[in-house]
Amino acid sequence: MMSASHSPEETKAALHDVVTEMYDKIIKGEAPTMTLPVRTKNNIGFDKSLGVYKYGKKRSIRDATSLGSAKQLLRALYVVEFIEGMIDDGKSSTLREMYYISESWGLGKFSSQNESNNLAEDLEVVTECLREDFKLRPEEDGARMIGNVTLQERNRRGEWMRINARDDVGDSGYGVPYNVEEEKIELLEHDVKFIMAIETGGMFDRLIENGFDEDFNCALVHLKGQPARSTRRILKRMSEEWDLPVVVFLDGDPWSFRIFASIAYGAIKTAHISEYLATPSATYLGITADDIEAYDLPSDDLSPRDVDALKAELSDPRFASGWWQDQINMMLELGKKAEQQSLAKYGLDFVTDTYLPEKLRDLGLA
Amino acid sequence: MAGTAERMAKNQKQVAISEFFEKNKHFLGFDSLTRSLITAVKEAVDNSLDACEEARILPDIKVKITKLDDKKNIVELQTEDNGPGIPKRSIEKVFGQLLFGSRFHAIRQSRGQQGIGITGVVMYSQLTTGGKTHVRSKIATETSAAVVDIGLDTRKNKATKSNEGREVWEADDGTLKEHGLEITCRMKAKYQRGRQSVYQYLRMTSIVNPHADITFVDPDGDVHHWPRVTERLPRKVESIKPHPHGIHLGTLQRMCTESTDTRMTSFLYKNFSGVSSRAAKQLLEAAEINEKAKPKSMKPDQIRALLESFQGERELGGKPVKLLNPPTNCLSPIEELLIKKGLSKTIDSRFVTTMTRAATVSQGNPYQVEVGLIFGEGMAADKPVEILRFANRVPLMYQQGGCLLTKAIESVDWRQYGLDQAGGRGVPKGPAAVLVHLASTNVQFTSEAKEALADNGEVMDEVRKAMLEMGRGLRKHLEKKKKMVKVQEKFELVNDIIPAIAEKSAAILKRPMPNLSGSITKIMGAVIAESTTHWNKTTKMTDVSITLFNYTSRARAYTLLASWPESEGAGMENNTTGGRKEATGVWAWKLETLEPGTTYTISYSLSGLERGDWTETDVFYRGSQEVIGASKMDEKLLDEIRRQEARANEVDHEEDVAPPDEETVSAAVPVVSEEAKPSGQQTLMGFGSDA
Repeated sequence: MMSASHSPEETKAALHDVVTEMYDKIIKGEAPTMTLPVRTKNNIGFDKSLGVYKYGKKRSIRDATSLGSAKQLLRALYVVEFIEGMIDDGKSSTLREMYYISESWGLGKFSSQNESNNLAEDLEVVTECLREDFKLRPEEDGARMIGNVTLQERNRRGEWMRINARDDVGDSGYGVPYNVEEEKIELLEHDVKFIMAIETGGMFDRLIENGFDEDFNCALVHLKGQPARSTRRILKRMSEEWDLPVVVFLDGDPWSFRIFASIAYGAIKTAHISEYLATPSATYLGITADDIEAYDLPSDDLSPRDVDALKAELSDPRFASGWWQDQINMMLELGKKAEQQSLAKYGLDFVTDTYLPEKLRDLGLA
Repeated sequence: MAGTAERMAKNQKQVAISEFFEKNKHFLGFDSLTRSLITAVKEAVDNSLDACEEARILPDIKVKITKLDDKKNIVELQTEDNGPGIPKRSIEKVFGQLLFGSRFHAIRQSRGQQGIGITGVVMYSQLTTGGKTHVRSKIATETSAAVVDIGLDTRKNKATKSNEGREVWEADDGTLKEHGLEITCRMKAKYQRGRQSVYQYLRMTSIVNPHADITFVDPDGDVHHWPRVTERLPRKVESIKPHPHGIHLGTLQRMCTESTDTRMTSFLYKNFSGVSSRAAKQLLEAAEINEKAKPKSMKPDQIRALLESFQGERELGGKPVKLLNPPTNCLSPIEELLIKKGLSKTIDSRFVTTMTRAATVSQGNPYQVEVGLIFGEGMAADKPVEILRFANRVPLMYQQGGCLLTKAIESVDWRQYGLDQAGGRGVPKGPAAVLVHLASTNVQFTSEAKEALADNGEVMDEVRKAMLEMGRGLRKHLEKKKKMVKVQEKFELVNDIIPAIAEKSAAILKRPMPNLSGSITKIMGAVIAESTTHWNKTTKMTDVSITLFNYTSRARAYTLLASWPESEGAGMENNTTGGRKEATGVWAWKLETLEPGTTYTISYSLSGLERGDWTETDVFYRGSQEVIGASKMDEKLLDEIRRQEARANEVDHEEDVAPPDEETVSAAVPVVSEEAKPSGQQTLMGFGSDA
């Protein structure tokens, strides 16, 4: 297993390269610049050797000739200085904390949390380091997991704790920490046939209550909407290290399609680390566009925003396959979307007794 | 029997009078509880303003509204002024006189005569509460004030007096009131906020009466004060005689029968404006009336014929009789500077543009259009602009949509001037207020309610022209502002951000601080002018500073020029960098060569102005390289200003030699031709060059 992490020295050197680019431009009597890959769907391509989508060759140069980008460069310098300080002091901070710390950065102050998150990502992309190398962690915690899998996690006191995600946890399951790299988590053993990732908490709880994980011998992971990096990373690790299939059970709408793409192919915003986060073997289980008709599910009309999102997906290279094009076009034609929980139309057990078994049978998993 | 008939006739009349009020509530302004209160305030305040104007007193007006009974909607209204007061014996006449419009013959611009005046208030108060109106009046020649309660005897249609007396009138500060009038009455009415409110009425009144000091205490006890911004009273308006083009048959008939003139020629010459003795003869000839005929002996047919020749329907030698226009000195415009001050005091903003069009004539009636536009921070950006309509200095608060003035505003495509407007028609949106004032001897309203002006193509054109002119000013201002924002950003970039980037990167890399000049020149690559115009509270002067930065790699040479309100009486002080007068209102400085990376600052102060008079200085340059933040001098416009200047000087000169007789001027006034108009419309920077 390759590791995503860099050593503190590697990280600092990579950050210094960014600073040197600016400094050298000033020495040459030019406007300081920062060069970074274009981060849109027009600049992601399939990497055959990795099996995921990565940034292409398009580069954009952010130069200090306008006030906005000059401020971005200055903020980047403050962030670099802040990260170096944390590396040296053995500290870490959340992105939100960094946002508040920037209050004292004068001209380098962030005007929104979004801005600081984006800049952290910019630096990751340019230096090819991970957020974890920068000692920055996201605010949101990772997913919840339930099932007969055993792992060990290094706790605050630096001791390894052995945890079985079925026997050693309560109803809310095992909470996945923000860092799931090897120094923090080791996967020990399991007795499951596959892993099912679920979009909504309501459906996750429904499956647990109905004993689905035991009946079908699987691990359930709650994605909490757009999954955090650590959630995607642990799915990837379990899938690769244990060679387990991953099936994804989401709402049937354009946004769920995007969630699936970020799990299976890599997200556009994090395409620089797709090979660590994406699980190319993951399968989309449902709700599909044809489920809406086949199961006659209660549905809502697509909003104009939904339609725009679907149309954008048609030209997204990650949805270029025939199956996805069919699904997207079908949804556009139907003009409808449906939630996971609309299956409850046929009773609380319908999802575990009928819908999922049928779907899993097609995949040879039930 | 005869006695009964007489009694009945009398009764009928009494009924008619109380019914008159009831039936005509809507156009007397008492049709709703909210409007009744506004009307009452209006009648009282209009009277105060008129009285002060007449007596040449700077008005101090106080209005106080107190809620007495919330459930029954009973309020008390108290108004107080510092006008001449009313002699005791006349109080009854002023407050108790019903339906005596007295201005049929005098043609002049007056505040209104809307409704039936203050008597209507007395009547409304009595009808709704049964109470009397308390009046306190002090005239300068008496030592004490007269007090009396006025009511109306609707049977006899006359005022009743009670509780008459005299008292010492002390002002709030304990001093004795010299003169003034105070009215207190109770009425069924409702105080409301918003676009149609007493507050809005007083605010609008204060805008067009910048010489008045108005205080309003609302029912919550909040005090609103609109201070006086000028000591100059409005010009006393002259009455003029009717013009043949504006007269109606009935009036002409009455004038004839009431005339004591012996011949028609002198009747026409003496009683009408714009009629010379030659024109009088021609008019009569066209109407086939003997010059020597007596006006009193005119037959209806003849009067009709005369009217036709007045209106050019009867011609002489194949042409209508040519008449002079009526004089326009009977109008009292507010004037640009005062509108500016009036607007600035009620609305906080950076940009105000105003324009008073030259007086002109429509159908024998002199009229004049004035407009003002204020733009900026204090107003909502996503709401329709506020429209402030006035006729003869009276705010128009109702029927905005049906008013000619609104229609004129709506007909302008404001999008080209930087305001939002769906489809380029309708009331534009944006943080702005538009003021329109029509001054005329004969304001035509759409209805008796006198809240909306009737359509009139000529007036519409005048208003539109004024709007377009203001629009151009607004666009220039917005463009300039945009440019200045960009310049400001560039300054922040090179003065703050680039040095910070250099410092921080050097610190992280532990390398020396690099030299920045190369990067800065590269980033800016321009010469930049930055100007500030600020009111200095301490010195009571307007401080102006202009700095020129050379952010290019070569040495540059320029002449800088700046606009200043010379013709508005400003003086230039503390101008240490010298320079010379280039033209009226334009000062020029020839600068020494500016080396790369260096700056040069010009500063001076303007005296003789008040706060808000001058908030923006236009900077121009002569030189080959573009200067950001300044405009290239348009030499043709400069020549035009110089030519206007020369012309104005000639006029001055003539006036010095032979000051014209007032009478002569008013008789021959209406020669305001397009090209001779000394208006501010062709000037370079929008400040007037009126000499």
